[in-house]
Amino acid sequence: MATVTENSRNVCGAVLSRRQFVKTGGALVVGVSLVGSEFLKANPAKASVFMNSLDPTLPNSWIEIHPDSTILIRTGKSDFGQGTTFTAYRQIVADEMSVPFEAITTVVAGDTDRTPDGSGAFDFLGRGTPNIRKAAAYTYQALLDLASERLGVPKDQLSVKDGIISGGGKSISYGELVKDQQLKLTIPVSGDLTSIFGLRVEGNPPMKPVSEYKVIGKSLPNSIITSKVTAKEMWATDVRLPGMLHGRMVHPKTLGSTLVSVGQLDKTKFPNSQVVVKGNLVGVVAPTEWEAIQASQQVAASTKWTEWKGLPGSAKLYDYLRKEADWTTAPITKSNANVGDVGPTLASAHKKLSATYQFSYMKHAPIGPTMAVGDVKSDGTVHIHTHNQNPQALRGEIAMMLGTTPDHVIVHCYPGAGHYGRSNGGNAGAEDEAVILSQAVDKPVRVQWMRAEDLQWSTQSSASYSDVELAIDETGKIAAYQIDHYMPAMQDDRPIGAVIAGLPTMSAPQVESKSVTSTVNGLSDPWVYGGVSNVMERGHGTFQIGQKASPLAVGIRDHSMRTPGQFQQNYPRELAMNEAAALTGADAIQFRIDHSKEERVVGVLKAVREASGWDSRPSPRPHAVSTGSAPVRGRGVSLMFRSGTYWACVCEIAVTPSTGAIAVEKYTIAVDPGIVVNPMQLKRQVEGGAAMGISQAIFEEAMFDESGIVSRDWNTYPILKMADMPEIKVVLLSNPKVGSYGGGSEAANALAAPAIAAALHDATGKVIRRLPLKRAYVQAVLKA
Amino acid sequence: MVKITVNGVPREVQAPGDTPLLYVLRNDLQLSGPQFGCGLAQCGACSVLIDGKEARSCVTPVSTVANKEITTLEGLPARWAKQKGLPAAEAENTLHPVQQAWIAEQTPLCGFCQNGMMIVATELLESNPNPTTTQIKAAFTTSGPSPHLCRCGSYNAIIDAVKHAAVIMAKGGK
Repeated sequence: MATVTENSRNVCGAVLSRRQFVKTGGALVVGVSLVGSEFLKANPAKASVFMNSLDPTLPNSWIEIHPDSTILIRTGKSDFGQGTTFTAYRQIVADEMSVPFEAITTVVAGDTDRTPDGSGAFDFLGRGTPNIRKAAAYTYQALLDLASERLGVPKDQLSVKDGIISGGGKSISYGELVKDQQLKLTIPVSGDLTSIFGLRVEGNPPMKPVSEYKVIGKSLPNSIITSKVTAKEMWATDVRLPGMLHGRMVHPKTLGSTLVSVGQLDKTKFPNSQVVVKGNLVGVVAPTEWEAIQASQQVAASTKWTEWKGLPGSAKLYDYLRKEADWTTAPITKSNANVGDVGPTLASAHKKLSATYQFSYMKHAPIGPTMAVGDVKSDGTVHIHTHNQNPQALRGEIAMMLGTTPDHVIVHCYPGAGHYGRSNGGNAGAEDEAVILSQAVDKPVRVQWMRAEDLQWSTQSSASYSDVELAIDETGKIAAYQIDHYMPAMQDDRPIGAVIAGLPTMSAPQVESKSVTSTVNGLSDPWVYGGVSNVMERGHGTFQIGQKASPLAVGIRDHSMRTPGQFQQNYPRELAMNEAAALTGADAIQFRIDHSKEERVVGVLKAVREASGWDSRPSPRPHAVSTGSAPVRGRGVSLMFRSGTYWACVCEIAVTPSTGAIAVEKYTIAVDPGIVVNPMQLKRQVEGGAAMGISQAIFEEAMFDESGIVSRDWNTYPILKMADMPEIKVVLLSNPKVGSYGGGSEAANALAAPAIAAALHDATGKVIRRLPLKRAYVQAVLKA
Repeated sequence: MVKITVNGVPREVQAPGDTPLLYVLRNDLQLSGPQFGCGLAQCGACSVLIDGKEARSCVTPVSTVANKEITTLEGLPARWAKQKGLPAAEAENTLHPVQQAWIAEQTPLCGFCQNGMMIVATELLESNPNPTTTQIKAAFTTSGPSPHLCRCGSYNAIIDAVKHAAVIMAKGGK
């Protein structure tokens, strides 16, 4: 029998209590352990979720210290290739707890039953205080308290190095401190586990000052890269369950088609296949993948659907958005940067720019189509094995679909093809269908979408347009700036299989929908030109195109994608800034500096100016030409503030007017995130965002006709190839006095487009305000 | 039944002869290197070496590779060890220089396409031990049935890694 004594105390707002076990038998190997949760008591409606989740109020749900002083960390954030959970998170915890990077040997991420906090895989660094940092800070304080008691030395006389606490001539390691102990520390949390933002750790535990950082700032390697490169990683695509069947879907003919009749399966050719129908959802399962593919194609060929034509088609997209879309139902949003009165200034402008900027639908286009294994057990428990950016949100959606509670659904998360925001609201496609098929055939089913389905049945980054009115005074400064952004609802988190099957889902985007799934168009691009006295930024929202007309209620579904909403709003602003500079005969970088009041804005602009070898002069360049078969060169700049980080980018291009072909020759980007947590990883993230951003700017447009998306493969949805790569120069500005670290990677996606469009103007003297700058389109505009 | 040789090991598979090699490798032989990206030979995620030449396993019927030598990502270390005549003990602990470089340069982002990228890099470096940037871009863009596509945009890191691998190979693999 163990003798147990308990005591408890307040640790920086958290409650620490401790049981001292006096062992009689085998070692009790416990780090820090279980206690009832204050959060649960206050939120009984959420209680069921925690039956299959770790209790977020417990530090050991986040950080587990083993008797050998190795440490395990857990986060609800899934890795989508940023590597942040394996690099920055370990670095942050290492510094917060005064242990070496290598002491953190295990990172558990994503799985709903093995992680505490949920949330989408975005904003990993949490503007300087991600959940894992606060959890580490609480744990560190608890360890100091324990050591103080154990060593008999006051807490303020203790020091810690490499996980060993010393004071009064004595020392003890973390491992020794937690060995044979069961510690109870309750930390405060808030939020909703299965929402897009998950739970947040609250309170203000003391955190390490920047001056004590030893691990943050180092280019430490990403551990998962080794297992991926050596084919030792377990990918979602590798999950094989006993008795698992392969499934393929037969999706409707159009985004509004309902099922008339299911095609007859040819049992002579596909004796082991089986057709499943649920509402308008049709799927085929078979023991082998090849049979499932062939059988589904055979069934699809003879399945009959109603016809539907309810979309404007790509060619009429912007006419539709301006003239037919209903922008009156969602309240108009206004920026908190709005100041002065733009009206009179615009009316009496010395010089004026009035322009409309257009932004196409773009696909997340993961290199591997979405897939999932669904396993509905006889007791009603559902397991989903997949690659997902928000597994907790997915379990909520699947529970809703099945009419059960989230504790019956467990999502296991594995590495997979990055999909850049598509599942941060819980689903990327196939997860719900795998569950529906598994339930129907009473076996685990692996649903793999084919390439065409992944382009035609997934969500996209929303199209948009923006009207700019800008007045310039006699001194060449912007006297008034007005922008109106028009964008359909940017996020639809309904699982598409459930929608087609007619099963319960959350509502389609409505004004009243929650946060990001509302039709309200929020302002997402922070204003950075504090020198302008009159500013008016407004956002106008509406339903997704076809959402109301489609008998399936699907239409063109949108979903956030790298720098969501902000890309759509930053592109018009930054291209307009270039045009305004050109109107006044000013250099585009100096013009921005002259309109800014922020030191870090100026810093990042000066850095990119120097690194790119920018020659200060107005645009267009002398002797700009928009004709001929010889390439003409130009350069442009762009600027953005996102998630605590300042970005400036210069693109140098060569455009051949006779063909419209744009080659980006050099891409220079300056990044000021405050503290650079891991220079090597940030550089690779930025290079990746740069490449994807160039791809979006010059190639990417999700094409659609009156019935649905018609981009169906890499020929009809082309992306950047290696031969298209420019020379890339990444300048990381370490700025420790900021005191925190801002986000990386995704902002780089948005910077290329306005810089390339400005470079096109610089080279040719013509402004093209519609994305993407596809060859035939550029050719036609330059010829006109 | 089809007899194929994968990473130096003869295998007999029961799959119908028209089954694309990709599904045989992934499902019958449980290899995880080649990935399903498009099924159309448009992206390269499924690439393998067939008799030393890069091929798209998603459109290659398994019957057409009978008695041919197939190398997947899993087989790169052994391929290198064989080429260099490394003793067994050393071979066991030696990654292919391409894999070493991919780790050193921290090349993958999501990594889903990197199987094909490393296969092409191996093919390139076996015929051209010191490629220029232009030659690297050509190898990954125009040499095969389609460009090798990376959606995360790791192309710059791939170029760095191919050059790094060339240096490692020139030094004999260390």
